[in-house]
Amino acid sequence: MSIATGTDHGYAAAPALPDVLPPAKRRGRIGTFVHRHPTIVLGGTLVGVMIGIAIFAPWLGTVDPTALAPAQRLRPPSEAYWFGSDMLGRDIYSRVMYGSRISLIVGFSVAFVASAAGTLVGVVSGFIRSLDFIIMRVMDGLMSIPPLLLAIALMALTRASVHNVIIAISVAEFPRVSRLIRGIVLSLREQPYVEAAIASGTRVPMIIWRHIIPNTLAPLMVNATFICASAMITESILSFIGAGTPPTIPSWGNIMAEGRALWEVKPFVVFFPAVFLCITVLAVNLLGDGLRDALDPRLAKRL
Amino acid sequence: MFAYTVRRVLTTIPVMLAVAFFVFSLLYIAPGDPAAIIAGDQATPADVERIRLSLGLDRPFLVRFGEWLWQILHGNLGTSIFTNLPVAHMIAQCIEPTLSLMVLTIIFAIVIAIPLGVLAAWKHGSWIDRLVMMLAVFGFSTPVFVVGYLLAYVFALQLDWLPVQGFNPIGRGLWPFLRDLILPTVALGLIFVALLARITRATMLDVLNQDYVRTAKAKGVGQRDVLFVHALKNAAVPIVTVIGNGVALLIGGAVVTESVFAIPGLGRLTVDAILRRDYPVIQGVVLLFSFTYVLVNLAVDLLYTVFDPRIRY
Repeated sequence: MSIATGTDHGYAAAPALPDVLPPAKRRGRIGTFVHRHPTIVLGGTLVGVMIGIAIFAPWLGTVDPTALAPAQRLRPPSEAYWFGSDMLGRDIYSRVMYGSRISLIVGFSVAFVASAAGTLVGVVSGFIRSLDFIIMRVMDGLMSIPPLLLAIALMALTRASVHNVIIAISVAEFPRVSRLIRGIVLSLREQPYVEAAIASGTRVPMIIWRHIIPNTLAPLMVNATFICASAMITESILSFIGAGTPPTIPSWGNIMAEGRALWEVKPFVVFFPAVFLCITVLAVNLLGDGLRDALDPRLAKRL
Repeated sequence: MFAYTVRRVLTTIPVMLAVAFFVFSLLYIAPGDPAAIIAGDQATPADVERIRLSLGLDRPFLVRFGEWLWQILHGNLGTSIFTNLPVAHMIAQCIEPTLSLMVLTIIFAIVIAIPLGVLAAWKHGSWIDRLVMMLAVFGFSTPVFVVGYLLAYVFALQLDWLPVQGFNPIGRGLWPFLRDLILPTVALGLIFVALLARITRATMLDVLNQDYVRTAKAKGVGQRDVLFVHALKNAAVPIVTVIGNGVALLIGGAVVTESVFAIPGLGRLTVDAILRRDYPVIQGVVLLFSFTYVLVNLAVDLLYTVFDPRIRY
């Protein structure tokens, strides 16, 4: 269908508009993004800063975070010790900077491991109906153990190490992912395009790879940010009660655990790692909220 | 309804069995010799051997699981490796503080969070709505021990209004009992308030758009009655579900809160047991908490029909 233009060239020259309209407020691409998704930008920036701190910790005016200086014990924040020093004379500023590494490594690793394991179990459960009942009862059982207690019980059994902390928190988190993915798989299976793929003889692994996995990515990513935030809190709690990262490695939870005995008189030992932990978790949560709103508003109810 | 109740109660049995199986097998999933794990790093080979025999590790796994389960059904949770006292006895001594803390926290959270959530939904988009949403994000981002220390620092150390730590059984009077529990309750309650306020707001936003709410307003029902009778009652099912699910968070948080405020409850028992690698105690506490969680959610499921008579099973 074409609209008659009535000119020889086949197109009409745009009539010149009178120059009375005020120029529309213009934002660049970045400006538009910031305006539409303020939480993603704020959360993302803060997370970026924390990643920067973790990577560049040695060059941020830090000293060896494990260097002891018994003569300089429990100094309040000053020019030499920006965040003060702990009961062994170690520089808290350096320990907090290096400690960001543990929180971020644990948070990101747990988000990845729990999402991967949960997706695997969820897809298997959603596709192989004969296994579904058993798998879901097992997951129900795992989900009935409060996650922090499950992580505590696992840590009590194994040697304290960052590696074991990641596994313990992942085991506690992945059943919920598997339940989320299973639900998505079950509803996708009923979609006409998946039925068409089945009818045309596409093999199951190909259907999963081509049609199922791409559709789980958005909810999976949003969920992963929330797992990351909760894993960072869990790591600090495990370290705080003495069942987490080994005390030789500076982590925010460990610094606070060591400051516990003296917090009434020397609150700065606990204060600085606490502030950094809260800001980081807040940043990841903001990022997650923003991603959820941007990727799929309906998810707000499912999560 | 009766048939449903029976069916729903029966479905908790496989779940509880699965929980018991996990809790029992945790010790054997972990790499290494369970007897050596329990004995710890400083144990002599004779210690390890003694523990191996006391656990009956020479017999098949499933046989041991069966025996262990049989003992549990009779209320016998085993014996602590550290104190040699029955685990059930140790748990019973620690239950009052933890139960008090959790019940007070749930009451506190409901009293604070539901009106906040209702208000936020009613004044959708206003400053109070934003405030509630911000509170929710902060609640989720602050570990319970950080909140605990902050509250203790301000209200106990600086203002000297409340004790820094400790616990008084309710037998010693209501005020001493409550006074010690105010700060722990608020600290533990923050995340629960965040969770509840957010779900209340979200559900109320849905419900307030329904026709019957408009009808109620049109026929002249007062604003308060519209919100708290017509709307809130219909929003109750998701809210109650979240209260049930949130108990898991509460249990984890209680363990930490008790360490911060030196409350001699199950949380402290757990932390002490971890440091001593007293595995029977850890098993007992995890099992008890998990069963509680399963039963709370059973109760929540059965409550649905009370809040929403349309739900008929």
